[in-house]
Amino acid sequence: MSDSDSEESRGQSVLARVVAPFVDRSVAERLLISVAAILLSIVVGFALVLVSGRIAGCSSAAWTMPLTGLGFCYDPIEVYLVLFNGALGYPFAVGDPGLFTPGWTPFNLSFGLTLSETTLLIFTGLSVAVAFRAGLFNIGTQGQLVVGALATALTVLALAPLLPAGPVAGVVLIVAGTAAGAVGGGLWGAIPGALKAYADANEVITTIMLNFVAANVAYVLVLEVFRAEGSSVVATRYVPEYAQFRPWLFPASSDFALLALLGGVVFIGGLYYFVEHTSLGYDLRTSGVQAAAAEYGGVNAKLTTVRAMTLSGALGGVGGSVWVLMSEGRWMASIPDLGFDGITVSILAGNNPIGVLPAAFLFGVLKGGALEIGFRTDVPTELVAVLRGLIILFVAMPEFFRMIGRYTGVGGARGAGGSGSTEPDEPAGGDGGETDA
Amino acid sequence: MRNPLSPSSLLAGASESSYVRSLVVGTVGVLALLGVLGVAFPESVAGDLSRIVFSTSTGASTARLAAPIVLAGLGGIFAEKSGVINIGLEGLLIISAFVSVYAASVVGVGNAVLGVPALVVAFLAGIAASTFLAAVFAVVCIEFKADQIIAGLAVWLIALGLAPFMSTVFFGGVNTPNLGVSVGWQYSATLVVLATVGSWWLLNQTAFGKHLRAAGENPKALDTVGVSVSKVRYAGVLLSGVLSGVGGSALALSIGQFVGSGETMVQGKGFIAIVAYLFGNYNPIGTLGAGALFAGLDAMQIRLQQLGYAVPDTLVQTIPYVVVIVVLALVGRTQIPEAAGEHYETEE
Repeated sequence: MSDSDSEESRGQSVLARVVAPFVDRSVAERLLISVAAILLSIVVGFALVLVSGRIAGCSSAAWTMPLTGLGFCYDPIEVYLVLFNGALGYPFAVGDPGLFTPGWTPFNLSFGLTLSETTLLIFTGLSVAVAFRAGLFNIGTQGQLVVGALATALTVLALAPLLPAGPVAGVVLIVAGTAAGAVGGGLWGAIPGALKAYADANEVITTIMLNFVAANVAYVLVLEVFRAEGSSVVATRYVPEYAQFRPWLFPASSDFALLALLGGVVFIGGLYYFVEHTSLGYDLRTSGVQAAAAEYGGVNAKLTTVRAMTLSGALGGVGGSVWVLMSEGRWMASIPDLGFDGITVSILAGNNPIGVLPAAFLFGVLKGGALEIGFRTDVPTELVAVLRGLIILFVAMPEFFRMIGRYTGVGGARGAGGSGSTEPDEPAGGDGGETDA
Repeated sequence: MRNPLSPSSLLAGASESSYVRSLVVGTVGVLALLGVLGVAFPESVAGDLSRIVFSTSTGASTARLAAPIVLAGLGGIFAEKSGVINIGLEGLLIISAFVSVYAASVVGVGNAVLGVPALVVAFLAGIAASTFLAAVFAVVCIEFKADQIIAGLAVWLIALGLAPFMSTVFFGGVNTPNLGVSVGWQYSATLVVLATVGSWWLLNQTAFGKHLRAAGENPKALDTVGVSVSKVRYAGVLLSGVLSGVGGSALALSIGQFVGSGETMVQGKGFIAIVAYLFGNYNPIGTLGAGALFAGLDAMQIRLQQLGYAVPDTLVQTIPYVVVIVVLALVGRTQIPEAAGEHYETEE
């Protein structure tokens, strides 16, 4: 269809073919909404930093509001500069002459940390996205990641003594560990899938409960059985160095491996192909959009539900594998909120596998920048967790942005660019909501 | 009176909407069995268990732990009956727990504002915070037609970030210092019972209750008789904010501290609340029973640890979550309001 539309000029047709899957009206609109949601959450975060800076006690004001002369303890502009500039390792010179910092390379520690977060979020984001496409809310990626990470660590630790140390063994161990993570996470994800399909148990609740169960059971298992001797924290032994992803080009302390990021990109491509171009993926999408129609069309809805949740869990589990084999080198009790961040990533990406890449990078920047905020400012790093919630909230209310678009005429015009028919009927609905009050 | 354990009664309990009855029968049955075993074998685990179950301290901590679950659950009934699924109850509990402790520390325990004691001010502040967040949720869902599940998740995640953030701003750490006072379990129990009875009355005996149910089941009919669907839905969601606010404040003030690390001190009680009202099939009395059951399990594991059973505490803490999953799998099909989760467009 997109080909016939774009036969006016050759250049346009090539471009259209490349972007065709993403540039129907709804995708363009989603993109616009995602960007607007990020900006709006940054604005609200700005206000939050200001207000809390007004309440917090400090001896000298970090920022004084123009015109009013009011002093604030936190400087919101500095916070965001540190957040975004710091996440990339300060490529931009702030305060110093010149736009760029001399001697900046992309292979710095901060940017490595950002990309490390990005890599992990690709997997958790894909995990949430694939479930969403099947019409399922997988809030349990966190638990699936915990289980997958433990399966990976235990598998690699068990297999390592059987193989002679070396790069070949490393490859074997990484492959086996990742497979174990996928199986562990997949099985953990299959539980809420089966409960949803065969007992009609709401997957939102069961996955959240299974997060608690996974965290607790894994903790006890490691505490009682697999704890490394002499370890002060609850953690397994380290997996051998040669079985971890190597930090090419980037400093070792950044816990980032280009190879893992590359793996993530391959997963994105694979999942995109699976969802859009295979019959199983088609079943998945149709049951997500219109379950009854899918069933009528011969799709086994129950089996599709279980499959989607298993696949989603497996992706979360692989995220856990990467966390063990790239970031920590072992399983340890305080696992970061990667699964919950994956929800934000997926929602920002409009649950489109391709969109997961920029969304994960953006969120990687937020997470990497949060560390810099902790180093350089007094503002609590929990700010980023608040931004996460705000972004989800704003992305969830497209109608808000449509209203703004209608008032200003900006959003409507841009949305119409994608295809001829925007929603001219929509304003009637929006007004109806107001008149009945 | 029929024998509650007779087959016909059990059969009736399994059919239709008699979840409440099967809940009561099940709980009473288990308790009775435990009591008999405890009396028969006082030296065994069953003996210890029955002593725990029937001890006053377990009762006290059950009341304390049940407050957030039951109150948030009652709130969830109002929201969902009106047609708005509020999955953000957890967030409402978190925010009210933090704000109540913050307010108490600002006023200073023992002081009073305009003759209102600090702890009452704390309660009111917690309720106000939770109601405000619920109002934001309501606007987002009703005015801007957001997906209710995603918006509810956002409410949870915002509170999960905001409470530790504010705690760090004010107190320099995600956990607040202990206030040094705590609200007794009697107050929690009284609040819970009052709220349950009040909710039952409001839902079943008033015109508002009828409108609420109509907004969730058949909004068009409600619209036809000239009642604003969105107003009723706003009321339902705001009520969920008020009740969750009471629950969250009661939870934090019963300890005198807000704990913001990890999943915060609320630890999924808001989600357990959802299961409690589903299990109670949207009946306040049933919600009270289910909430007390979940809280009782939690209280029991605390006592078991105190008695020195060599069960890892983390594992025992997992029991309520597993029970929730099992219950949800067994109850499964509840009678969710027909129009819950859907936006309603007024017709001109």
